[in-house]
Amino acid sequence: MMYAGPREVLEVDLTTRVTRRYALDDDVFAQTLGGVGLAVWLIERYVEKQGRIDPLGPENPLVFAAGPFASTPVPAANKHALATISPLTGFLNEGLSSSHWSAVLRRCGLAALVIEGVAPDWSILVVDDGDVRIEPAGDVLAMSPRETTKRLRERFRDRTLRVCAIGIAGERGVRFASIENDGRQAGRGGSGAVMGSKRLKAIALRGHGDVNVANPKRVAAISAILRDRATGPATAKYRILGTGANLRVLQRMGQLPTRNFTGAIFEGAERITPEAARESRAAFVELRAGCAGCPVQCEHMYVRRGRDRRAAAASEYESVWAFGPNCGIDDLDAVLDAIALCDEYGLDTISTGATIAFGMEAAQRGLIAGDAFATPLAFGNSAVLRPAIEAIVSGDGVGGLLQMGVRGAAERLGPRSQGFAMHVKGLELPGYEPRTLPTYALSLAVCTRGACHNRAASYDLDLRRPDAVFTDEERVRTAIAAEDEAILWDSLVLCKFVRGCFVDFATEAAELWSAVSGLDMEAEELRLRAQSTWARKRRINARLGWTAADDTLPVRLFEPICDGPHAGRCVEAKKLATLQKVYEAERGIDRRCAAAQAAIREV
Amino acid sequence: MQLELFGMARELVGAPSVDVPMAGPATLDALIVALARTYPQLLGTVIDLDRSVLIEPNVLLLDGRRAPDRTETFDESDRPCLLFVPSGG
Repeated sequence: MMYAGPREVLEVDLTTRVTRRYALDDDVFAQTLGGVGLAVWLIERYVEKQGRIDPLGPENPLVFAAGPFASTPVPAANKHALATISPLTGFLNEGLSSSHWSAVLRRCGLAALVIEGVAPDWSILVVDDGDVRIEPAGDVLAMSPRETTKRLRERFRDRTLRVCAIGIAGERGVRFASIENDGRQAGRGGSGAVMGSKRLKAIALRGHGDVNVANPKRVAAISAILRDRATGPATAKYRILGTGANLRVLQRMGQLPTRNFTGAIFEGAERITPEAARESRAAFVELRAGCAGCPVQCEHMYVRRGRDRRAAAASEYESVWAFGPNCGIDDLDAVLDAIALCDEYGLDTISTGATIAFGMEAAQRGLIAGDAFATPLAFGNSAVLRPAIEAIVSGDGVGGLLQMGVRGAAERLGPRSQGFAMHVKGLELPGYEPRTLPTYALSLAVCTRGACHNRAASYDLDLRRPDAVFTDEERVRTAIAAEDEAILWDSLVLCKFVRGCFVDFATEAAELWSAVSGLDMEAEELRLRAQSTWARKRRINARLGWTAADDTLPVRLFEPICDGPHAGRCVEAKKLATLQKVYEAERGIDRRCAAAQAAIREV
Repeated sequence: MQLELFGMARELVGAPSVDVPMAGPATLDALIVALARTYPQLLGTVIDLDRSVLIEPNVLLLDGRRAPDRTETFDESDRPCLLFVPSGG
């Protein structure tokens, strides 16, 4: 049977304004599945052709690849992947976003969209079913993604137009700028800066084509089961509380990274938990949202009662953590304002908060001026969040330093700042404490994307059994399984929040894939596809100059935690090195081979 | 036995901690049965309907740091917490 879904790739060269549509063979879908797998496969072809790529140069491709279940009855699956070379890391960055834009990409008959080159003037790419146009950005320049969407819908007189856009941060090349569609963001790694470097403000989609599945009856039956499970206990935490509920739990466990990872207990945690906002209904209004076609509706937004509801901010754990505990701030209003401001400017909340926290510590140590703003750049000062974010976007004063991200800023400040520069490969750390989570620490160090908790989600083992002793082999197997499983979720693309809805994920996912795509696959084959994509990611990074020295952790993590029940714990360098050796043996990584690849490229 | 609650357990019970009637030190299984009897609203979301296990991702940790095995007994001084395994964000 042939692949049932949309199979075309649309390539757009913004420099030459040449567009090309071509169909992919069944074999490509069978190899990659779609989503991240397909995006990475497409990126590898460019990297092989071009060798070294300047992330902000015209040669860096920006790839959007639809999830193979998007625009089908499968719940929690209207998602797309995005891949490019990250201006933060210089390595592969693959991310996800979701909702209507993802579904309409497939209704335009597309499996993927590849953007190359640089437009001579700020532009909008319009894919109108089979028609492709590059139009002037005009009056949407300097607008937020949300305003851009509204204005383009007015321009096209079509309220159903689907738009993904960058904000001012992306236009100005902030290295951790995001890309937004339908209120969702592909946040991490600076893809928004790549889009901005191409002078592409937005991509507007209008698609009305049918999206076929191979076995509609089977797909409907499996989808009904999943939908039913997705409204049950397996997703109750996300549905009723949201990910912000992590904050209270991590605080209780003594594992809440605080003040740029100088501690693991935050005395003000309770004041900024989204649950506290929820419980004080007199003070805050809670709004709910979610992706198209998802029964979970996980997004919990809050705004102080009496304020404009459009100012409501999503209370995702990582965002609240980044501006709350990590900056030592216990003012929920200020934290929510900072999150909303990031959405308005198109900034990744994790990297923004982490970079401000780095700036606070640099100021504390006298490396940058603490009076750079009208109010001190200091841990605990909620008043500095807004001016710091605005400076990051404008690039004025200290903002010019901070908009480079933690690694870029630390390189500029010199060796005295390296000890507290919390990043892996240039991507800032998310809100899990690696010193208490040894398996996660390994996963972070070797992750191709840098410090990404969604690609290196092996913390589950450490958090579930915090006191248990595991062998090196058990930790490595867990880390590898978590990497491969994440690739499967991100290639299929299903929201990880419904993982509790599967009894045996690989088996059920293989059945679902076969019914949707028409390409029969067993669970074991599915796992092999994930491993192939993992290898592809590694090959791409090797060609971009990866060396074994890049697989490491920030200096601070090798120093002991200073407070809480885990005081004294740290990542032991020797232990990490041992785990890495076992990991490399298990994965078949040859450090010399990777170095040789890099050398060949240089020649 | 005093039990700290987090996540869905706290949401359903409506309190940050509860007193679970236990005669003395208890095993995890015994605590789950007593908890289900006292707070039936937890059934189906936090505790399995057959009252034998906690539903994923809920876990019981002592002082938020140690997972008791099924035969181990503990008491209030061990500071049991019913929480969930954090993920994502």
